[in-house]
Amino acid sequence: MTKLLKLAAVVGLISTLLSGCAVNRATGSVDPSANLSSIKTMYVKKLADDDNTYALIADKLRTKGVAVTTGTDVAPGSVDAVVTYVDKWMWDITMYMLELTVTIRDPKTDFPLATGNSFHTSLTRLSPKEMVNEVVDNIYKGAK
Amino acid sequence: MRRPILVAALALTLTACSSPASREAMTPQLLAIDKHHPYSLRVQTNGGSETGGLDSTNIADADLKAAIENAVIRNRVFKSVIQGGGGDYELNVQVISLRRPMIGVTLDVELEMGWSLVRSSDRTVLMRKSVQSTGQAGIGDAIAFVTRLQLAVEMAARNNIAEGLKAISKLKL
Repeated sequence: MTKLLKLAAVVGLISTLLSGCAVNRATGSVDPSANLSSIKTMYVKKLADDDNTYALIADKLRTKGVAVTTGTDVAPGSVDAVVTYVDKWMWDITMYMLELTVTIRDPKTDFPLATGNSFHTSLTRLSPKEMVNEVVDNIYKGAK
Repeated sequence: MRRPILVAALALTLTACSSPASREAMTPQLLAIDKHHPYSLRVQTNGGSETGGLDSTNIADADLKAAIENAVIRNRVFKSVIQGGGGDYELNVQVISLRRPMIGVTLDVELEMGWSLVRSSDRTVLMRKSVQSTGQAGIGDAIAFVTRLQLAVEMAARNNIAEGLKAISKLKL
């Protein structure tokens, strides 16, 4: 039994070392039929179990000249776009944001007008604010 | 002497490299198409990403584009597919989200792609649609996790392309 546990520990250690390399990915794209510069008001739809990411996204979008409101309810009909996001967290000594996807949608049809994604594993982890900045900047890089 | 080799082999198996979703496997077979449009089409894709050696299976833009073009030609959704500039219509497909499990036996993948069709001559937007699809692969499909994940991603992409093209074939152009 002890030998088996030792074997499992060694396999686990080697597996961890082999897969511990940094993986970085950052993409952003805008549908060619969309015009982000015409979007002046946005509503960031907060996820139920999110403490802060929605606020970071809202703050970053405000720096792009957009008037932003946030909430958990259905978006008000007056906004030009709804922002949804998915944040994936991992633990490695401390918790960190592994992946963030932000999508800007048409409020009437839910069509994704633009999207951005960042993925950084533990060794090259970014703070949540840096992740948000990277994703939103990448979306606006591809904007008309 | 034999044990270290076995340990290393097992560890390597657990961390085997991922492969990108293949264009052939993402191409849907014969679809129930409503209308065959007698026009030319240009396809553009974005939002996808390459698959790194230690990354999960991703969908690359070039492979997605090729899979859509193959499906368009195979099912005669449009008369022809144009490369580069030109074309009567422009199809833009954007990978929005690809949700993949990190562990599991039966793997479920969720994919959302944004489809838009624009008439090239006057830039009229004829369709904007968010297509959500799923793909699943179990232990019966492949033993290795990375292979199962690749199969599930390819199935999700195939289903998404099938639904997107069916929606386009229903349009009156």
